[in-house]
Amino acid sequence: MSAESDQTRGEYDYTAGSYIGEDRPPQPAGGIAAATVRREIGGYLLGLAFAVILTIASFWVGRTTLVYGPSLAVGLLVLAVAQMGVHLIFFLHITTDPDNTNNVLALAFGVLMVCLVVFGSIWVMTHLNQNMTSPMMDHAMHMES
Amino acid sequence: MFGKLTWQAIPFNEPIPLISGFAVYAMVVAILIWVWKKGYLPYLWREWITSVDHKRIGVMYCLLGAVMLLRGFIDAIMMRAQQAMAFHSNGYLPASHFDQIFSAHGTIMIFFVAMPFVIGLMNFAVPLQLGVRDVAFPTLNSVSFWLTAVGALLVNLSLVVGEFSRTGWLPFPPLSELRYSPGVGIDYYCWAIQISGIGTLITGINFVTTILKIRAPGMNYMRMPVFCWTALASSLVIVAVFPILTATLAMLLLDRYLDFHFFTDTAGGNSMMFMNLIWAWGHPEVYILVLPAFGVYSEVVATFSGKPLFGYRSMVAATMAICIVSMCVWLHHFFTMGAGPEVNAVFGIASMIIGVPTGVKVFNWMFTMYGGRVRFTSPILWSIGFMVSFVIGGLTGVLLAVPAADFQLHNSEFLVAHFHNTIIPGVVFGLFAGYTYWFPKAFGFVLDERLGKWAFWLWVVGFWVAWAPGYVAGLEGMTRRLQHYDNPEWHPWMLLSALGVLIILAGIAAQVAQLVVSIRTRAARLDVTGDPWDGRTLEWATSSPPPAFNFAKLPNVGSREAYWDIKQQPREARQLLTPEIDYEPIEVPRNSPTGFVTAALATVTGFALIWHIWWLVILGLIGAYGTFVVFAWRDRTEFVIPAAEVARIDGENRNARAAHLLELAR
Amino acid sequence: MSTEILRAPLAPAPLGHRAAVAGAPPQVTGHGAGGPAPKRIIVGYGFWIFLLSDVIMFSSFFATYAVLFKSTAGGPTARQLYDLHNTALETAFLLASTFTCGLASIAVGQRSQKWTQVALACTGLLGVGFLTLEVREFARFVALGAGPSRSAFLSSFFTLVGCHGVHVTAGVLWLGTMMAQFWAKGFRTDIRHRFLCFTLFWHALDIIWVAIFSLVYLVGTLPPEFLP
Repeated sequence: MSAESDQTRGEYDYTAGSYIGEDRPPQPAGGIAAATVRREIGGYLLGLAFAVILTIASFWVGRTTLVYGPSLAVGLLVLAVAQMGVHLIFFLHITTDPDNTNNVLALAFGVLMVCLVVFGSIWVMTHLNQNMTSPMMDHAMHMES
Repeated sequence: MFGKLTWQAIPFNEPIPLISGFAVYAMVVAILIWVWKKGYLPYLWREWITSVDHKRIGVMYCLLGAVMLLRGFIDAIMMRAQQAMAFHSNGYLPASHFDQIFSAHGTIMIFFVAMPFVIGLMNFAVPLQLGVRDVAFPTLNSVSFWLTAVGALLVNLSLVVGEFSRTGWLPFPPLSELRYSPGVGIDYYCWAIQISGIGTLITGINFVTTILKIRAPGMNYMRMPVFCWTALASSLVIVAVFPILTATLAMLLLDRYLDFHFFTDTAGGNSMMFMNLIWAWGHPEVYILVLPAFGVYSEVVATFSGKPLFGYRSMVAATMAICIVSMCVWLHHFFTMGAGPEVNAVFGIASMIIGVPTGVKVFNWMFTMYGGRVRFTSPILWSIGFMVSFVIGGLTGVLLAVPAADFQLHNSEFLVAHFHNTIIPGVVFGLFAGYTYWFPKAFGFVLDERLGKWAFWLWVVGFWVAWAPGYVAGLEGMTRRLQHYDNPEWHPWMLLSALGVLIILAGIAAQVAQLVVSIRTRAARLDVTGDPWDGRTLEWATSSPPPAFNFAKLPNVGSREAYWDIKQQPREARQLLTPEIDYEPIEVPRNSPTGFVTAALATVTGFALIWHIWWLVILGLIGAYGTFVVFAWRDRTEFVIPAAEVARIDGENRNARAAHLLELAR
Repeated sequence: MSTEILRAPLAPAPLGHRAAVAGAPPQVTGHGAGGPAPKRIIVGYGFWIFLLSDVIMFSSFFATYAVLFKSTAGGPTARQLYDLHNTALETAFLLASTFTCGLASIAVGQRSQKWTQVALACTGLLGVGFLTLEVREFARFVALGAGPSRSAFLSSFFTLVGCHGVHVTAGVLWLGTMMAQFWAKGFRTDIRHRFLCFTLFWHALDIIWVAIFSLVYLVGTLPPEFLP
């Protein structure tokens, strides 16, 4: 990219590495840098704490008898999605900042594709398997190894 | 030591591949020797092979597509000849050859003609239309091109070393599993597609980033040219679905190489899962091809009607709607496989819905032409030919979208006629229109119009003579991919079809002649100002060909048809109105051999994987990693063009335009 | 003709968003009319798109795993094979490595060579630890006769989890290269951009792992009557 284009926007010297394109303005002068570092570390620690809690919850759900059985798989899915959200917000810094809109839209597109592929495939294949597997074929499939 | 590779791999006992392979090899060697003797090698290396300039890469992509069109078309002639002859006879092609030929034909046409050509046009035109200097990741762009070329090389290599796949252009299991296809054909196919698939995915990422993040100042989304919108939609679909292709072929390769059981007919494998996944890629793939072609038509129709494109917002909405809905229809490729009425109905309705945005587009093009002063140049002829022919193809598609009808017509010649009816008028005509439209920008002279019109008429007549019989034969029950048949009703249609393909051959000959004649007489048809068609978009603001940096100063975009609006005042005043420009030095990315080296390593690695030469595979992968590290270790990535040089180059174009305006004044 | 610079308002309900500090140039956002974005944003966005494409590739493997889950061909099932203690350990390793990677990116922001190398080394070691556990798990399966050739279910398990492992391996190689580059060339802009891509990659791998340990291991070991 030309120097010209960099000059039109100003070259910010971003500090933290994993902000995806949030235009953080230059830090105010003075000894605020340490506070920034502490705040950033705090952000990661908070994310870690949430992730640990959700992980422990998932493992608990995986072996509990206190919850209605058939809902356990859904519960695990929900906890997984929640933890992915925690990762996205605290580690990947997805925000609602207007500068971040493209990133959020791309993420939404990705989520749409994942849902289409995974749920679409499961739906289609379940129907195919149901309709096209005769008892004899089933027997043959399980016999061969 | 050499894995499965032995001298038996070369078809000494099969005259057709042997002779054709030898002929091609001889031609390539002759061309290389000529280039070397003439001393063009340093120029080629410096200006083309290691270039990271999107314009150069775009031209190379289109060249690759054009050359592979010839190879794919030869396959087509062979197939038509076989089917014309093979009534109550075995024709001249043994079944194993015929199978390889129709497989190679489809594979080459989709992956190594249409994709490269479409991507080539996108590469060339999008940064220019956006008013910027290059794409987001120029070196990766070069890598993409060379990886695609590797895929083409491997497929062509299979003609002389080994064999090609015999399953059709998609390797359905269980036929494609090791048990039923123990040869190397499927492996050639899979590795060629995997390697070029990486290149295509990188291109998709490159263009999504470029179009969304790198545009001239003032160009918001609603001021982008429609070709850029369609390029964006196509690139989004590439990013969305090529990973599915990579995963699916990887699973097939795992089945074949490591005895996995994804799609085998034993140990619980499910071959329908392959079908499901491959079509989840396969249907969006055709939209990847057709969307940029639609974009070309939008540009061409607006320019040659002398009017802004009608219904810009609805065009944008239709494009993005096609982008999303294209990923919701894939099951219509296997309605007959027993998913049941609920599933079939949903996908059938979705497949009909997707016709609506396309219809919106067709109406917009027609309304653009209505009330305009249409100049009937060959790009507009290609566009009109498209509008008439593609609509018919689309209608047969909506017919096939009805599951009950599809049960009769699935895998018949009707289907084959339908998809050729959408791909050829849809994609190929668009590529030809774009090629003619942007050729002057790329090379500085206009193509011969007369031969261009001959080519168009021969193509459009030839296409219909070749494919209308397909519809009839399909309705009469003829299935696809028949090496021979005994039904007398089909024979006259096959003869007609063969005649059609000969007419198309004449059309292609006209195009080759057009190129040769145009180059010979180029002095008489120079594009001096850079705007031969009275264009409306920003690429026509540059000289032909544009300088390496495209624009001396990035234009300030104030409206939707930026260049058209910029042009009007100087036109009226008969002189350039911009005062003395304050030029600045421009940083341009350095050339890099990374693309070429990566491709060379990919060729070696791919070939080694196909033939099970494991030590070579490991060497190749280590080499690939080494290439990345070497590239990452570069210290100087750009070089600077000084302001004086920029001024000189830009000054030439400004003088030419001023002279042109003076002439208008006289 | 004039250049309109469109200004979008700040988000009304900011999530993690920091208010602009006075004196910062205007935010030319929302409609992208400010000209080409800075290099850092371009690189970050391009890599983000690549990551999404990678996630879609993983989703193909997830879909295949879901479809083939019951196709055990008379061989071992998930419930019989999966060792959740091992999974918990792997999860801990990877989550810790994501945290240290975050610390590394803070260190890079502060241009501290020492802390960058320390944090990256920890990340790498934790990643290698994860891989060791995974390879041992695979070896154990193979020794039990539950290798990928045994059944479609096992093929899909090995491919899905193995693909993630291959990505982690590539990540570790990349990490080593980044450490070397920072050491040799300091905190040059293009190396920091590359490092941004690396951190995105590494965090995304943990996101995929969340899906794997939840939907493969934990769901796989639920009693079969609870599964759809």
